Amino acid sequence: MEESTPSLVSHLEILDTLTDDSIQEILDSYANFCSATESLLHGGDASDFFSHVQILCKHGLLSLVRDFFLKSLEEAFEKNLASKFWRHFDCYNNVGINYEDELQQVLCRALEEISLEKQYQEKCLLLLVRALLLEGKPDSDDEREYLFSKYQLMVSSVLMASLPRHFPEILHWYFKGRLEELSSIMDGELNGNDDDDSHDKDDMDLDEKGKMLHRNGAMDIDECYLQGNFAETNKLVKNIGKVVRDLRSLGFTSMTEDAYASAIFLLLKAKVHDLVGDDYRASVLNSIKEWIKAVPLQFLHALLAYLGDTVSYNSPSPALKSPLGSHPSACYPGINAPTEGVVRWQLRLEYFAYETLQDLRISKLFEIIVDYPDSSPAIEDLKQCLDYTGQHSKLVESFISALRYRLLTAGASTNDILHQYVSTIKALRTIDPAGVFLEAVGEPIKDYLRGRKDTIKCIVTMLTDGTGGNPNGSGITGDSLLEELNRDEESQENVGADDDFNTDDKQAWINAACWDPDPVEADPLKGSRNQRKVDILEMIVGIIGSKDQLVNEYRVMLAEKLLNKSDYDIDSEIRTLELLKIHFGESSMQRCEIMLNDLIDSKRTNHNIKATIKSAQTGPEPQEAGASMDILSATILSSNFWPPIQDEALNVPEPVNQLLNDYAKRFCEIKTPRKLLWKKNLGTVKLELQFEDRTMQLSVAPMHAAIIMQFQDQTSWTSNKLATAIGVPVDVLNRRINFWISKGILTESLGKDSNAHVFTLVEGMVDASKNSGNAGSCEELLGGDEEGESSVASVEDQIRKEMTIYEKFITGMLTNFGSMALDRIHNTLKMFCVADPPYDKSLQQLQSFLSGLVSEEKLELRDGMYFLKK
Amino acid sequence: MATVNGYQGNTPVAAPAGTTPSKQTVPAARTVDTQSVLKRLQSELMALMMSGESGISAFPEGDNIFCWKGTIAGSKDTVFEGTEYKLSLSFPNDYPFKPPKVKFETSCFHPNVDVYGNICLDILQDKWSSAYDVRTILISIQSLLGEPNISSPLNTQAAQLWSNQEEYRKMVEKLYKPPSAA
Repeated sequence: MEESTPSLVSHLEILDTLTDDSIQEILDSYANFCSATESLLHGGDASDFFSHVQILCKHGLLSLVRDFFLKSLEEAFEKNLASKFWRHFDCYNNVGINYEDELQQVLCRALEEISLEKQYQEKCLLLLVRALLLEGKPDSDDEREYLFSKYQLMVSSVLMASLPRHFPEILHWYFKGRLEELSSIMDGELNGNDDDDSHDKDDMDLDEKGKMLHRNGAMDIDECYLQGNFAETNKLVKNIGKVVRDLRSLGFTSMTEDAYASAIFLLLKAKVHDLVGDDYRASVLNSIKEWIKAVPLQFLHALLAYLGDTVSYNSPSPALKSPLGSHPSACYPGINAPTEGVVRWQLRLEYFAYETLQDLRISKLFEIIVDYPDSSPAIEDLKQCLDYTGQHSKLVESFISALRYRLLTAGASTNDILHQYVSTIKALRTIDPAGVFLEAVGEPIKDYLRGRKDTIKCIVTMLTDGTGGNPNGSGITGDSLLEELNRDEESQENVGADDDFNTDDKQAWINAACWDPDPVEADPLKGSRNQRKVDILEMIVGIIGSKDQLVNEYRVMLAEKLLNKSDYDIDSEIRTLELLKIHFGESSMQRCEIMLNDLIDSKRTNHNIKATIKSAQTGPEPQEAGASMDILSATILSSNFWPPIQDEALNVPEPVNQLLNDYAKRFCEIKTPRKLLWKKNLGTVKLELQFEDRTMQLSVAPMHAAIIMQFQDQTSWTSNKLATAIGVPVDVLNRRINFWISKGILTESLGKDSNAHVFTLVEGMVDASKNSGNAGSCEELLGGDEEGESSVASVEDQIRKEMTIYEKFITGMLTNFGSMALDRIHNTLKMFCVADPPYDKSLQQLQSFLSGLVSEEKLELRDGMYFLKK
Repeated sequence: MATVNGYQGNTPVAAPAGTTPSKQTVPAARTVDTQSVLKRLQSELMALMMSGESGISAFPEGDNIFCWKGTIAGSKDTVFEGTEYKLSLSFPNDYPFKPPKVKFETSCFHPNVDVYGNICLDILQDKWSSAYDVRTILISIQSLLGEPNISSPLNTQAAQLWSNQEEYRKMVEKLYKPPSAA
């Protein structure tokens, strides 16, 4: 158009000089030119076309010629080609997989047809160019380019304007079908190579190729491509290439690209889903990458090569390459010079694959972590994906919601939650060594666990118990968590030591090159990752709040365990204690250490005392007491360092009592000025019960032994009398005696007085059948346990006791100050309640305690102030 | 808490009549470790709280363990039955070698208590011994309420009226202002 304007102006100037003849000539040749054009476009003869063009050009009407010709072309194209082309697809309004083959043919046919027609039109256009050339236009190349670009624009705009809505979908289905076909060919080929047996069946070509592959020792895909099912793949790619080229020439470049890109992505997605499955024990990332290289990239490579794009990008300068594809050439053993297009595609495809895999893994992260040590390949995959995509926040969100939905519910046992928490820590430590995301994920678990009463107990059991605190579980883990942690730590330390050892310049450089910034989500206040190390123990202790609480709970558990020991074997406890000392420091474990020392001392003292008593007793009446010192072994506690011990009065049978007194006396002699105070209700008694027809061996609590001993001389007791004899309240007796009743050794019947029960010894196993189940297992039953009696005051009991101290303090301060607000009470307790243990409750704990007192009507709460209830 | 007792200068130390000035002028020969005073007071507080004695109570005021508030209820079957008196106790740096200064904060019509609340009680002055503690002081004051020492009164009116218990009871009720919940 730019050219025509000045020429038009010049024509206006010479308009006056035009003679009638020349006007007539112009009109004639224009009319002839029009009809010649018409006939040319419809395939007719147009021999005089040149001359008419010449005449018109001579009169400076070049632009008229051009415009008219293009307009005619457009009309013809619109009327014939475009409408015909679209008509092919009319019946595929609702395309589906069923039509695929048919569709492919239709598309090819339609494209072929329209391409032919288009070629004809282009030929016509070329004729015009030649005609203009004859006229002596110097810049014929420009002219041709101009005309062809106009034509191309026209073609695509006509087609776009009349584009049926379902055409992109048709393209998509087409490429999808082709790619699947190609993929199955490639898969077959790959499998064929992997499978040695198939070589015999294959033809010579394949066999050779197989050998070559083995020689190369690598999956040389390009070679497969060149030699293998060369013809088949090549034909397929060529067909696709042709379709793509035709589509491009019709101006559908971007639509085509979209179509095959989406088809490739769909196929990739399907492949990833297919490969991933629900098996977390294998890494799939590499096979996905292999597949990307094998199928879609080969396809793209071939396609781009066919379309001739390779030429234009043949030697991509390094600067053009994406920095992400650091060594692209290494990735293509077969393709010598990967084009930039292919590299771009590879990056796109890999990113997509990473993202898909990552999403899949994240959605199943909960299950993956449940199987943690087995599922570490999946975790490793996920780590790589996240490193690539950087979508850690997705993981955090999704995993937290999974946790809330599946783990942090009333139905899950505290043990399970803790184990999942530990697995989570371990698994996420792989993904995120700095522990930034772990903090986010761990927070809900921690919060939840803090609300559970048995958390501390479970933690301590898990830390110290070999079975991982899961008594009814499979108990595969032979070691306690603590041992495991220790092993981890040792290996970590070893690695650290190696690092230090090698610190020369080169190593320093490598270290510097490996430096990774903290993730952006990291809290700068928490220091960089070098100082931060995910410490599982610390995180677990973090649930409880303070290690003192944990140590205290451990002390209670240890006391219980030690008190139930009848031998002095404490090796495993010593080991656990040593490990705990490493983590919590010597000083906090001091009391526990004293407890263990007590056991060791007890063993020695016990031995000494027995030896001296024996030597003193050798002479006169060894049988007099009816019980020798041999049957007694004492555990001597330094009670100041033990947790409070349940004390229960108990009259032990006289011979035993005598024995205990002797023992205590001897102890006093050896260890003056110390004195031995017996806790008669603690310990274990091994009994042998002899009946008329049988004997029974049992290990029971002293209370149970004392009860049954009373039946030795008198086979029937009323509950009141028995309670007095043993020296315990009647209700305690009634509770404890159930042990013997359940064993079928005593029976209970109502006496004359309805309050007094009568217990009678059962001689002979009359109702053996009824109680056989119990009798069989009585060896294992430790009397105390089944009733949930524990010899040591539990932590809850201790807390209750602490709280009564606080209650007295609160009453004291409120008596003197009238009314106080919550935080003032809190502060005052903190300041002045320096009892043992010191006041360490949180404001919330205090508040709930105070509201407990309010509900007990001891306090009153008005306007945020607490008063004593008068 | 280590540097306390600046308040001693602020509190008007009205020396009770029975005080012997010579004793006060003697400089404290023993330099007492503040830490041990703290410990002693803390354990006294603990003992007092745990004793659960009814009718007497005391607690450190604010964040200063040298300065306590006390509460005494009038004993049963005395003219003071049903009344409650607030006290202030301030402990010297060399406690327990010196007695704490104890005053009534609530006005108390009593022969041995003056209008400023000063108390005339031998164990708070010359009969002090380090064996006494807050609990015994409070118990002593509580029993002083029911058994005044008429021979050396601070409040002569009260001492004269003491013989007439009925009138005295009326006077106590008239003058008694229940401590406001502060």
